[in-house]
This record gives sequence, structure tokens and C-alpha cells, in this order.
Amino acid sequence: MRVILESKVRKKPTLPIEAEAIIPRNFLKGTDLLVYEGNKERKLSELFWIFVEGTAVSPENIEVVLKGDTSRIKRVGEYMDTGSILISRDIGMHCGNFMSGGTIEILGNADAWLGREMRGGTILCRGNAGHYCATGYRGEKKGMQGGKVEVFGNTGDFCAEYLAGGEVHVHGSTGDFPGVEMRGGQLIIEGDVTRPCANMKDGTCVILGRVHEMIPTFEKIDRRVLPEWKITADVYKGDVANRGKGMLMIKNPGEV
Amino acid sequence: MTELLVKNACVIDPIRGINGDIMDIAIRDGRIVESVSDRAEVIDAQRCLTLPGGIDSHTHVCGTKVNFGRYMSPEDMRAGRTQRRGRMHVTSGYYVPTTFGNSYRYSAMGYTTLLEGAMAPLEARHTHEEFTATPHQDMMANTLFDGNWAVMDAVREKNVKKAAAIVGWTLNAVKGYGIKLTNPGGTEAWGWGEDLTSIREPVPHFEVTPAEIITTMIRANELLKLPHSVHLHCNNLGKPGNYQTTLDTFDLVPDLNPDRQTLYATHVQFHAYGGGTWRNICSKTEEITRSVNSKPQIVMDMGQIMFCRTMTMTADGPMEFNLHCLHHNKWSNHDVELETGSGIIPVTYSKKSAVNCIMWAIGLELALLTKSPWQCLLETDNPNGAPFVKYPEVIGLLMSKRYRDEECATLHADTEGRTSLWALEREMDWHDIAVMTRAGQAKALGIINQGKGHLGIGAEADIAIYPIRTDSVDPAREYRKVVEGFQKTSYTIKRGRVVSRDGEIIVDGANTTFWVNARIPEDLRVDNDPEFIRRFQEYYTVRMSNYPVQDLYLPRGRRVDTEAFT
Repeated sequence: MRVILESKVRKKPTLPIEAEAIIPRNFLKGTDLLVYEGNKERKLSELFWIFVEGTAVSPENIEVVLKGDTSRIKRVGEYMDTGSILISRDIGMHCGNFMSGGTIEILGNADAWLGREMRGGTILCRGNAGHYCATGYRGEKKGMQGGKVEVFGNTGDFCAEYLAGGEVHVHGSTGDFPGVEMRGGQLIIEGDVTRPCANMKDGTCVILGRVHEMIPTFEKIDRRVLPEWKITADVYKGDVANRGKGMLMIKNPGEV
Repeated sequence: MTELLVKNACVIDPIRGINGDIMDIAIRDGRIVESVSDRAEVIDAQRCLTLPGGIDSHTHVCGTKVNFGRYMSPEDMRAGRTQRRGRMHVTSGYYVPTTFGNSYRYSAMGYTTLLEGAMAPLEARHTHEEFTATPHQDMMANTLFDGNWAVMDAVREKNVKKAAAIVGWTLNAVKGYGIKLTNPGGTEAWGWGEDLTSIREPVPHFEVTPAEIITTMIRANELLKLPHSVHLHCNNLGKPGNYQTTLDTFDLVPDLNPDRQTLYATHVQFHAYGGGTWRNICSKTEEITRSVNSKPQIVMDMGQIMFCRTMTMTADGPMEFNLHCLHHNKWSNHDVELETGSGIIPVTYSKKSAVNCIMWAIGLELALLTKSPWQCLLETDNPNGAPFVKYPEVIGLLMSKRYRDEECATLHADTEGRTSLWALEREMDWHDIAVMTRAGQAKALGIINQGKGHLGIGAEADIAIYPIRTDSVDPAREYRKVVEGFQKTSYTIKRGRVVSRDGEIIVDGANTTFWVNARIPEDLRVDNDPEFIRRFQEYYTVRMSNYPVQDLYLPRGRRVDTEAFT
């Protein structure tokens, strides 16, 4: 079953919509869902043109497609556990919060907090992602714990903060402090970074681009070839300021 | 004149010796009376369990450290969110909820009176402000004296009268209710970067031992004729092998008061550990309860832990630092000048941890092994052991062996060998629970005269009606019904008004803050003592005249007068 939600033109297009109801499982019982626009509760049909193609008996066969201007829609895919969501343009903050299964594909850019505290499933972002991609929310000491986030563009600051499990793969560059407070999982950044992995406790981070302002509390232990990436990398252990058992691998800058 | 009649109530009122009688309760203007006119509003209790309003004799719901717990855990504010609805404010938080969250949830469970476990005198204003924002419960504040410099000077001089005068003046100034000692001496030592390991070890720079502080304060408390006894959080909290310290402390306590205990030992679960390290920690509840059973002058509370995520907050700074060294999570320590300190860290109690499982078992053992329910009260040291919303589960566990067995089967394998819970057959009855959740507290806190904890004529009309039929529910088997029943009252009546109906708050509420004014003879008053004034002006960063809490902070304060030194 495919549910297509095409956003209607709104009088105040900048008002955020809180759409945690948009997850595949909820469409099994119909499209009678409620979301908030600003502080007003709205029916889904007030904000979207809804097209349903086919039928489904189980939520894993449901695909939700979001079209039109969706850049102010927040919390799409929150607590999603199965099925798939395709977003054809940009998406607002907190997409894929606490997601535990299924797939979200974003063809445009994602705003901040993409896939925060994710437990499982896959998020593919074809454009850029905002700050705090794949992290924990304020005060939360375990961020993403499982699943995979792949961003084909760049991300903002604090990418994969408090990463505790799963994999984050950024094809572009990240902003300041990627992988800060990491305690598990794997972070791969193909572009450039500043101050990576500060205070990391555990986990692995691979950086293929240039590192600016390397944190001094990392201990260089080895230089090795990473066949997977076809590079020679300097291997650091750290953050020694915090019982550092983490592994930071940075492509040897001498290599072309 | 407002009148209310509760009909067909199955009343358990241990203070008056009523156990399950079906009766009517007449209420006029917030008090229980003989009878009311025909115009009175009528509530049909349908023979459901009706108890005096619940009293929590040790909880942390208001004050600076609770608020710091809120600062520290923005992640908790995502939980427990409720929207504004009718009279209800928005609430958020699970283990450190907003003040209204605390108030509403307590009210839904039938609790109408709370004792804030620890208020630093210097930070009393904040506590009283939060009391006003906890509108559905009458409040009292235990005031911290564990590291008070002036008190320790008096202890060193072995001058009980002077200690009493300082306590009396401070309680009056900060509108406190009783004396709280948290790790006496230890917190002050920690302020100097040191730690105490026994109650016979002197506090650095003060040359007094915790044992001296405790015994002096017990005598000072009785000299002041305070309604509550000394409220003690023993030394060495949470250290394997600390039961010996607890027993030594209990042995210090004389029996000085015929009406109530002489020492209230709080959250004893954290003080009943045997062994020497975390690897060989075991339960020593048999020793502890043997001591308590033979000493009517001691009342303790359980300090039960439950498996969940929560926040620990106490004036015991060094203990919190040690806990931080185990968890490596966020932490805070705080020093209150010349008085006390505090520490706060979040913890998660897990069934995967043998230590946590043993702690869980110890709490229950304490309650089950103490012969008289009046001597072991039910609480979780909210939020240290678990948030208070877990009380119904604790009640269920105490009432049902089967429930305990089911839970025990899910625990860490090492638990059985190091505790005695598996062997305990005792199942508490409704009367025991009524004692452990309200009557015992009222007696221990000395508020029976204030009309709390019972339903006699003239008592405050604080009543909780639970949707439980004691004649048809067998708590041993149907413990789920018991837990659900205690989670949400059908009616909570506070001072003659229905404040909560089926868990829904229906009025704004207006609470009272009880505080104690001990009348001290003119020649003994410390505010006439030039030496006390000089030291106050020299060491405090506030002036003595600015120190007392203004009446403005207690819009509905109720003063309890005592005649000290008589």
C-alpha cells in the first residue's frame, strides 16, 4: 500500500507542524490522523491531499510518500518500527526520532536532530542534514543505539553526539565536534571535520577527509592500511581524558 | 459552611483502632464531625477501602536540590507530560517532575501530607516557594543540622541547651518542622575535602564525632519538645558493610519520649549492607530488624528501591561523589555555607545488577522482618530509591508472597544466596498497610494532634477512598488489583473538599505549611547571645537580619508552638 501525502498550500507556511502521527503503522487503520499545526490540532486531511494506492494487511508493506513543501514538518517517523517513508523534498526537525525499524529516505535536506536516539532501521538522506544528526537529545547520555544513518551531503555540528551503537555514515563534511561523547557504534566521515570525537569513550570513527583542530588528548598508537577504504590511516586511541577506549582513524594527510 | 457526607465507607483507621468497619463520615468546614445536615453533599463509597489521607514522612519534592535535579535532567522532562486540562496545570517529568506534577500524582494516590526530607536552612526560601506550588498536600520541612558550625561548637562544648537554642532559633527563622541529620559530620568533612568512615571518627577542624552530634541533637530535640524526633540519615550510606555503623548508631539512642520514637532512621535499606566490597555485598536486615524490634524508641522507613531510572539527591555529598565514581555519569556536588551540602546524580536500578537486586530485596526484608508496622514505614526516599508513583507496587509486594516470588524469579542469580527474602512468608494485611502509609507516619511526625492520620471527630478531613473492596479482593492472589487500586483513588478528599476524582484533579488546592516555634526563655535565646551574633556576622555571607524567612513565603503557614525547656 502506498499513501501519498501532498502538502496543501498553507496561509502561514512557516508554522511548524508536529506530525509524529505520520508513521506507516498508523495508516493501517485509515488516514484519520491528528497533527498539530502550531498550537492547533488539525486533521491530516486539512493539511495534506491524501492519496491511497492499494491495500495492505500488515504495516511492513506500507509506504508513506511525502510531497510538496515539507520543510516545516517535524517528528515524521517518530517511533516508527516498520514500513517505509519517502520524502521527496526537505524535511523538518526530528525526523525519525526513536525509530526502531523500517526505512526513511529523504531526497532533499533534513533539518536538525535527524534520527535522534534511533534504535534501529535505516535513514538515507540524499541532501544535507542539520545539526545534531543521529544524536541524543538534551541530557540524554545514550544517543543513537542502533540502525544506520547515511547522509550523502554534509551535516551540521555535533553529528553523532553520544553515539552508542549502530552506524553513521556521512559522505560529505561535518561541522564542529562530530562524534563528541561517543560511547559505541561506528562513525564514518568522508569529508572534512573540526575537533572530532572529543571525550569519546568507545566506538570507532573513520575520517577520510582533513581534520582541523585535532583534540590533543588522543594518543597515536599505530598506522595501518584500511583495505575497506583503500587508505593508510593514523590510528589514535582516546579520548584519554575520559578512560579513552575509542578508536579514531584518520586518513594519512600525506596520501593523495 | 460546606458539608460532605461519605457513606458506606469501609474504614481502616489504625489510630482509633478501627479495622474495616462500614461507617459514614460526616465533614463540616474541613473537619470531621458527628453528623451533618440533610443538605450535605453525599459521596457513596460503596464499601470501598477508605483510609485517612496518606502521609509521606520522607520525600524530596521541593527545594534547591530537587530543582537542581530538574536542571540536570532535561531528558526527564520528556516523560510524564500532561496537558493543561480543567484545573490542572501542565506537568512534565517522571522522577523529578514539576511541582504540580508531584502534587497531582500524590493526590491521585490519596496522599495529602508530605514531609520534605531535607531543607538546607540557608535555602529555605526556595523550598517554601515550591511548597506553595505543591497545592494539594500539606507540607513540612525537615531542616538540616548535620554540619551546622554553631551546633557543632555547642556539641564540642557538650552544651545541650545551647544546641537546643540554636536549633530552636533556626527552625523559627527558616520555618522548619524538625531536625534532619544527614551523614552528621560527614558532609561537613567532605566540604574540607575529607571523609568520615565511622561515627567515632572526629570531624576535621571541629573535633566532634558524629556519635556526639547525634546524641546531643536527640537531647536537644527533646528539650525543645519538638513534635517530631530527630530524623537521621545514618553515616556510611550505601557502603558495603555499613550495617555495623547503623547498629552502633541505634545503640546510642535512649528512650526519652513516651508518645513517639526518639529517633527516626530514614531509608534504612541503604544502611543494611553486609560484606566488604560490591562483589560480596549481602543483606544484614536480620541484625538491623532484631535491633529495631527490641528498641521501641526507634522508627525507621524502608527506602525501598524499585527497578527504574531515577535521580538520587541527598545532602550526603561524599556518598554521591562515590556513586559518581561508579557510574561515570553527570553529577553535582554543592556546599551550603556553614550548614550542609548536597549531591545529585542520576541512576538506573536494573535487574541485571546483582547489587541492585540485593538492595531491592533488603528493602522488602526490612518491612517484613520488623514485627510492628508502626516501626517500619513505607517509602522509597522519593526519588532516590524510586519515584513515589511506585508505592502501590511496593504495597503489592508486601501483601503478596506470590508477587514477590514472581519478581524474585526475574532477578540476578546471585540474589537468593545473599538475602533472606525467599524464605519470608509474611503477607501484610490492609491494616498493616494503613499503618505503614499514614497512621505510622502521623504518629512518628507527631501530627496526630494536628488532626492528621486519623478520622476521629475533630480531625482534618483528609480522606482517601480507593476503588478496592477488601471483602472480595484477596491481596495475596489478586495483587494486580491491589496495585491498580492504590494507584488511583476514587476520591481524594483534602480538608473536606474533593480534590481528585479517579485520578483527575478538580480543584486548585490550597495547602498549609506546618512549622515549629519552640518558645525559648529569654536568657537562653541565641539571638541575644553576642558571641553567636558575632560569629554569624563574621562567617555567613548573609546578614542575620536577612536570614529569617519572611511570612510572605508561607501564605498559609500553621505554627506549632512548643514550650521548650519546661
